[in-house]
Amino acid sequence: MATKRPSAVTGPSTSKRARTDGDDDYIDVDDGLQEPLMPDSPGSPVETSLIPKGATINFTALRRRLADERDAAERSNDKGINNLSSLEVHRRQQDRLISHIFMDHDFSWLHLKNDHASRPLWISPNDGHIILEGFSPIAEQAQDFLVAISEPDSRPAFIHEYKLTPYSLYAAVSVGLQTEDIIEVLNRLSKVPVPDTIVSFIRERTTSYGKVKLVLKHNKYFIESTHPDTLQFLLKDQVIREARVIPTQVAPETTTITGMAGLTISKAPVKGGLVIPGTSKPTGETAGLDGRKQTDADLFTSVVGVDNDEIDEDDDNVHAFEIDDSKIDAVKKRCNELEYPMLEEYDFRNDTINPNLDIDLKPSTVIRPYQETSLSKMFGNGRARSGIIVLPCGAGKTLVGITAACTIKKSCLVLCTSSVSVMQWKQQFMMWSNITEKQIAVFTSDQKEKFAGESGIVVSTYTMVANTQVRSHESKKMMEFLESREWGFILLDEVHVVPATVFRRVVTKIKAHSKLGLTATLVREDDKISDLNYMIGPKLYEANWMDLAAKGHIANVQCAEVWCPMTPEFYREYLREKTRKRMLLYCMNPKKIQACQFLIRYHEDRGDKIIVFSDNVFALEHYARKLGKLYIHGATSQVERMRVLDHFRSNPKVNTIFLSKVGDTSIDLPEATCLIQISSHFGSRRQEAQRLGRILRAKRRNDEGFNAFFYSLVSKDTQEMYYSTKRQKFLIDQGYAFKIITHLDGLDTLPDLVYRTRDEQIELISSVLLASESDADLGSDVRGAEGDLDGTVTSKNFGLPPSRGGMPAAKRTTGSLTALSGAQHMSYVEQNKSANKKLAKETIAANRHKLFAKRDKERVQAKKDAQKAATAGGS
Amino acid sequence: MKAIKGVLLTCDSALKQILLTMNEKQSFIIEDLDDNHVVIKADEEYRVRLEVEAELEKNSFDA
Repeated sequence: MATKRPSAVTGPSTSKRARTDGDDDYIDVDDGLQEPLMPDSPGSPVETSLIPKGATINFTALRRRLADERDAAERSNDKGINNLSSLEVHRRQQDRLISHIFMDHDFSWLHLKNDHASRPLWISPNDGHIILEGFSPIAEQAQDFLVAISEPDSRPAFIHEYKLTPYSLYAAVSVGLQTEDIIEVLNRLSKVPVPDTIVSFIRERTTSYGKVKLVLKHNKYFIESTHPDTLQFLLKDQVIREARVIPTQVAPETTTITGMAGLTISKAPVKGGLVIPGTSKPTGETAGLDGRKQTDADLFTSVVGVDNDEIDEDDDNVHAFEIDDSKIDAVKKRCNELEYPMLEEYDFRNDTINPNLDIDLKPSTVIRPYQETSLSKMFGNGRARSGIIVLPCGAGKTLVGITAACTIKKSCLVLCTSSVSVMQWKQQFMMWSNITEKQIAVFTSDQKEKFAGESGIVVSTYTMVANTQVRSHESKKMMEFLESREWGFILLDEVHVVPATVFRRVVTKIKAHSKLGLTATLVREDDKISDLNYMIGPKLYEANWMDLAAKGHIANVQCAEVWCPMTPEFYREYLREKTRKRMLLYCMNPKKIQACQFLIRYHEDRGDKIIVFSDNVFALEHYARKLGKLYIHGATSQVERMRVLDHFRSNPKVNTIFLSKVGDTSIDLPEATCLIQISSHFGSRRQEAQRLGRILRAKRRNDEGFNAFFYSLVSKDTQEMYYSTKRQKFLIDQGYAFKIITHLDGLDTLPDLVYRTRDEQIELISSVLLASESDADLGSDVRGAEGDLDGTVTSKNFGLPPSRGGMPAAKRTTGSLTALSGAQHMSYVEQNKSANKKLAKETIAANRHKLFAKRDKERVQAKKDAQKAATAGGS
Repeated sequence: MKAIKGVLLTCDSALKQILLTMNEKQSFIIEDLDDNHVVIKADEEYRVRLEVEAELEKNSFDA
């Protein structure tokens, strides 16, 4: 310190001499120009000159400039320097030296609060990014709050990143948070005072959003608001005024004080005794909430608490006016344009017109805490809000949907993506709730049922409902039935895959009071996700994958990317080939097959159940045959599929199956604990997440130290590296870490390693090169059934018959007829037989009951005897 | 007596395949030694390095 002090004191006076002079000059210039605040005026040599000059005034830049000037003024004043401690001077100098590196992101002018260490988050004034310390003791509460007001961007273990967006704030308002509370809580949690830019952003967004609600009451649409001024404002608009229905007589149920503007006023609804089935008893629940509130006196828990909003709304009156049904779409659109998007709520308890559906969860059904939270966001004020709930695959989305249906207790329409999931939904409904078979109907291309009674549930696919082409007589009748009814609730499964056009058709055709979208991955490769915001509603809840894994609701997964080097021969061909064939080459890389064999062996020895995914059917079949495993792809017959899956489920000897793309959507997959991916659909983040979902639901997940494994095999130095990184992005944002394995230990010593010699590898490459172009296609095997949504069953020609001629090309060889027919002791043996075929034989032979086996034998014997008798009689 | 100044490149087998493909377009390899070593013309080294860099960059994704 003794040596440092003099340097610190003399340092500024000598080395900074020049700099202060420079700054003095610069201030003079500024003063001369009389516009010290313009960001593009000649800046200080270190910082501002490097800031890109934007057309708009950047507030951050302004703030920084002001801070700069203040500093400069202090510096030029010798007294100022003397007053500062040497450490502070030193620090300032250092700040100045490095600040130019950060350019726009230099926030050294933001001053930390004194107790910043105990506050977990930091807000960027530029773009509303919020950085949260995931390790802070109050991180969990902060997370609850942040999930409500912002979009999670990335949530690895320690530092989380969230982003404030207009839509997220809209969602926050829709679950009942108030503007001032949001700002207040942010301020409490933030290390720095909430920047003015953010405060004004929040104010601006929340004042307009969520103030207007669209309510279907007694089959009439009302626009509702607690703020009469807002309604007055809306009524000034031409479109809305024309759509308004002037009440001819006072509605009986409202205690009407028809104000000067003709708005009806009624008491706001209270959550009251509404209980979401499956949660604890009503008294217990409210007590629990109260208890939580008392113990946690902090403001933000009560804000986050779900029942906050009705306390505020309780003493407010609700103003409303009626809207013509037919003009509802125009009004909705207009309100969006006016920046007063309408919340859609359904007051289902007061709906006396639509018959109730007698449905309840079975007493044995218990829903998990996070499912309860998500539902309480939906039913926060005793009405059903429309919106989207995001839960990871395997975390029980279906149960959330079913519980919501059980809460509303009205007729319900469930839409999903494929006919396979239609059957799954139906089965799940039967499993979790007390609904009878009669009340639940299925509408697919094969089955067209109607439910018995006045109300019930219909499960169908998006395409069946949105179809615009000519329908069969039966489905036409069914559609008329669907359209004529009024639905209390519409459940939209896998909502992120539905194209906007299909969606719009569904929404306009089906009259539903409330909508709930369910999804695991709110990502699309084409960034159309924001469309969902106004077509269904805001995102009500998004679960944190890592949290659920930590609590044991989904399995812990170890993700790894295995880099397999290309053999020189394969890489040589790879570099020379066109794109489509290239894909086949990097899938068929012998080193990859070896790695696959090694991993399968390793995990089978551990007792794991393994699923191997390959989008490329050619590769799939080759791998499976070579390694002697069962496989299923599009061409596999239904009977064979069932047999293979059965064996995988119950036979301890069958621990591995190979699946093509059919495994993504069209098969009800059994659970597995290890997943290996050898080829995939380019950079689809959704597919990656969905495949991961296959191992998340593993039953053994609660065992001590249990891990599920997810491997992606990637050929090094090929395009696959690019796609693989892209695919992982979603999972990485959810907090998964991908380990990279460059060398599998013990691979070379594996006893019966395939393609060990160069000759074998060269043989393989010639077979790959002979394969036709179409073999390189991905997912070409998947034929979508009628009614499956295009693109979910991703096939190149969407299940249309192949355009190429049906017959395979004939192979001509010369040879003598006697030799070919076997006269010269020639026999044919099928090498490298599919393991599926062997299985078929075994099952027939082994599964035959003794009784039948005996009977069969007798029958054969009887036949023989009869023949003998006949021949004897004949001769 | 004619002498060409050469540079010995050590690379992995995949990279060597890239070099060989590049060589087909514009010859720069003097001697192909083994799986991991090639000798190339010294004055082409800079261009080759740039092109290899560009080729490898194609396969990496950054968001």
